[in-house]
Amino acid sequence: MDNEELISRLKPIVAVYAQDKVALESMNPETDFIKDLKINSANLVDVVLDVEEAFDIEIDNQSMEKMLTVQASIDIIQHKIGLK
Amino acid sequence: MIGNDVVDLQQALLDSNWMRRGFINKLFTAPEQQYIQLANRSADMVWLLWSMKEAAYKIYNKHSGVRTFAPLKLSCAITGLSATTCQGQVRVEEECYFTATTIYPGDYIHSIAAGSATALPQVRVQVLPNLPKIDYKAMQPACVSHHGRYLALIF
Repeated sequence: MDNEELISRLKPIVAVYAQDKVALESMNPETDFIKDLKINSANLVDVVLDVEEAFDIEIDNQSMEKMLTVQASIDIIQHKIGLK
Repeated sequence: MIGNDVVDLQQALLDSNWMRRGFINKLFTAPEQQYIQLANRSADMVWLLWSMKEAAYKIYNKHSGVRTFAPLKLSCAITGLSATTCQGQVRVEEECYFTATTIYPGDYIHSIAAGSATALPQVRVQVLPNLPKIDYKAMQPACVSHHGRYLALIF
C-alpha cells in the first residue's frame, strides 16, 4: 500500500475524532493529530484501536508512543502489515 | 512547575466508550485497572486516573521536551480518596509528581500536579465556562486545560 492509499484509509478513521474539520480536509503526512486536527488526547487510543481493526494489525505500546502524526501512523501501519 | 487537566464527564460520556475492547489495556497499568474494578463508580475512576496522568504529563513534557503518547509509562498511585477528592502520585521514569483531584460527580473532574506535595496547596484553581471569548492568555495561567463545557486555569 502506498502513502496516498494509506492516507485515504486513515482519513475516515481520524475524521470521527478530529475537531478541526478544515485541517482534516488538507490532511497530509505532516499533520499532527492533536495540534492540527485537535483530537482529544483520550481519543488517540480510539484512533489506535480503530487502526488495529481496520488493518487487522496489533500496535504495541512502543509503536503507539509515536502515533502522534499521520506520517508516524503510516510508518507503523506499513511496518506491521509487512510483518504479517 | 505545575500542570492540570479537566475532564467534562458529560463530554467524556459522549466522546469515549471506555468499555470498548482494548481501551483500558492500552491506557492503564495493572494496579490502575484494579482501582477501576474496585471503584463504586468505575467510569469516574477511569477519568480520575486519566486526568492525573494528563496533569503529570504536562509537567513532564515541559520539563523534558519529550512528546509522546505513552499512558502506560505514567503510573498512578492513589494515596487518599473520598467521594469528592483524591490525592495521589504519578511516576514517569525517574520523576514522581504529586496530584490533587477534585471530583464533581456527573459534572467534571479536575486534577492538578506538582513536583512536590508541599507545592499543591499553593496552586490557585479557576474553572470557567469554555467560551471562545474568554481571553485566558491575558490572565497568565501557569497551565491551561479545556474539555467540553469547561476551561480550567491554574496559577
